[in-house]
Amino acid sequence: MKVKPVNHAKAAEAFIEDTAHMDFHDERLWDLRQKRDGQMHILPEWQELRARASAIKEHTLANLPEYLEQFEANAKKNGIHVHWAADGAEHNRIVGEILEKHGAKSLIKSKSMVTEECCMREYLEPRGVVVTETDLGERIQQLDNQMPSHIVVPAVHKLIPDVAKIFAEHYHTDPNDNSAQSLAWQQRLAARPVILSADAGMTGGNFVVAETGSFVVCTNEGNADLSATVPGLHIATIGIERLVPRMADMGVFIRLLSRSALGSPITQYTTHFRGPQKGSEMHVVLVDNGRSHRLGMEDFWTSLKCIRCGACMNTCPVYRRSGGLSYGAVYSGPIGAIIDPTFNERKYSTLPFASTMNGSCTNVCPVKINIHEQLYKWRRVLAEHHELPFVKREVMHMAGKLMGQPTLYRAAINGTEVALSTMPRFVLYNWLNPWGKHRELPHPVKQTFHSWYKQNRLKNKKKEGESA
Amino acid sequence: MSTSRDAILTRLRDNRPDPKAHPLPPVARLGDMDNGQARFENSLQILGGQVLERQEGDTLATAIARRFPDSKVICSAVPDFEGTIRIEELGTPQQAASVDVLVVRSPFGIAEMGSIYLSEAQLQDLNSAAHLTQHIVVILSAKNLTANMHTAYMDRPEFHTANYGVLMSGPSATADIQGVLIRGAQGVRTLSVWWED
Repeated sequence: MKVKPVNHAKAAEAFIEDTAHMDFHDERLWDLRQKRDGQMHILPEWQELRARASAIKEHTLANLPEYLEQFEANAKKNGIHVHWAADGAEHNRIVGEILEKHGAKSLIKSKSMVTEECCMREYLEPRGVVVTETDLGERIQQLDNQMPSHIVVPAVHKLIPDVAKIFAEHYHTDPNDNSAQSLAWQQRLAARPVILSADAGMTGGNFVVAETGSFVVCTNEGNADLSATVPGLHIATIGIERLVPRMADMGVFIRLLSRSALGSPITQYTTHFRGPQKGSEMHVVLVDNGRSHRLGMEDFWTSLKCIRCGACMNTCPVYRRSGGLSYGAVYSGPIGAIIDPTFNERKYSTLPFASTMNGSCTNVCPVKINIHEQLYKWRRVLAEHHELPFVKREVMHMAGKLMGQPTLYRAAINGTEVALSTMPRFVLYNWLNPWGKHRELPHPVKQTFHSWYKQNRLKNKKKEGESA
Repeated sequence: MSTSRDAILTRLRDNRPDPKAHPLPPVARLGDMDNGQARFENSLQILGGQVLERQEGDTLATAIARRFPDSKVICSAVPDFEGTIRIEELGTPQQAASVDVLVVRSPFGIAEMGSIYLSEAQLQDLNSAAHLTQHIVVILSAKNLTANMHTAYMDRPEFHTANYGVLMSGPSATADIQGVLIRGAQGVRTLSVWWED
């Protein structure tokens, strides 16, 4: 049976119905975007940092096999066990074997999108390993049996009463607790004994440094450090695209990461792991899971530059108003919409359409991924592969005809003024236009730029020409 | 041994863009080069860290006693401060959970971020202590401030030698519940810097 495409528009509709949640979600993420802007304006070198980050990442990706080998050699020298996993299944098997060898039955972990990709919890738990997420947002999502809805703030779509209800059910706390402080304290109290008795710890890795055989983990809660330093076994699961050549390159990335993500200058913890701590064992699992294939996609390989800051999500009007869960994928928002189809083209065929093509995602991206252009290119690929839903196929077909013929386009644009002001609402806000359902179209302009230009500038030019 | 390793590397070699088209940019020192104490303190405050107050006649011990009056277990990781227990006396990583205040010396701080650096060298191989303790007091010399992240990564040898190296910028924090910023999430609840000069 063919897998069904994610019905993003329908899921988004449900999210939009709940005004309180949607309004908070929209405002909270926009606030992060504005804080990011504030940080950007402090640094005159911001654009240079972005250009360098992009160039370093592109260079690394073009030389990835050599840098991976260099990392592996150095990491081994430092006493790290290095494993390679072609896909999620192999990753899970490797982790399962390491845990089994150590007789480890409880694993505490910090946030790692790669383990989400691999569905690791679902694999380990039936095998008798209790996996506990230690990031607060991720833990809330785990208890609620949901995927993270945002790559940096996984539970951003929830309000305080939602969390109080979940904690009451699992931690037996007050279901009417309406204080974020007290709920966060409950998490600390609940997590401590689990951390202290854990057999193994797991982290992801934000960056991997080939030169030193190290990896760098950025968190705000310090939960990655707890997961890595308390148990005697540390496993790090890392995507193979996370490399940078030199330790000195980290300056560029650390200066961009948290500023882009949360609008804070740096994460509270930036931790450099170069080898096992005394009395402990360290493993790194390098995960491919489609990345080496993506590197060969001419139009899409630069999506591998992504440092997972989430800035494109925070700025995206569609993401802010539809919620991360509506994407039905591990990666949501604009970056998700260009990465997810590489995992499953049919299942995620609707996601590149969840965009207004405003280009804001591209403008805020700290590593200069041309996200909105890739969204457009995905639409073409999906059309060629016949993965377009009927309505989109028809609309695209009409749009293609219009855009292809300037006279027809101008006639249509001139017509929009009349259309927007005279057409009955049901024509504009119908099932053909799901985005129209919950928002008003802009007021039509009195005159298009083209007709104004014709009227004024061309006339003036003619005048100039006459007087000359 | 690992067939996946070879398969991944081969696929990467087959699929990668032309390396010649993507040269590595030289390392750059960018940004504000001010490595002053005032800049550090301002950044530290933004990230929620504090400067431990030094009153007339204060020693580190009296300053800690005033700041953390209810603390019972004060653990020292430095030779020149006593505390109630030495870090070497904590036998396992888990035992560090009993500590109320950890006193440790940082080899350098970063003015741009208000970050302090700690590795196993300062934590006497008990890295968990920096995270399980309730509060941390970090002894720092203004002479050991570096300007920004570029200068830190380029000039500090620790990034090339330590097995575990953490830059702590203020205390543990979260805003995962309805965007409310909470200082003191899962790791240290407060971070204070004690200037030793």
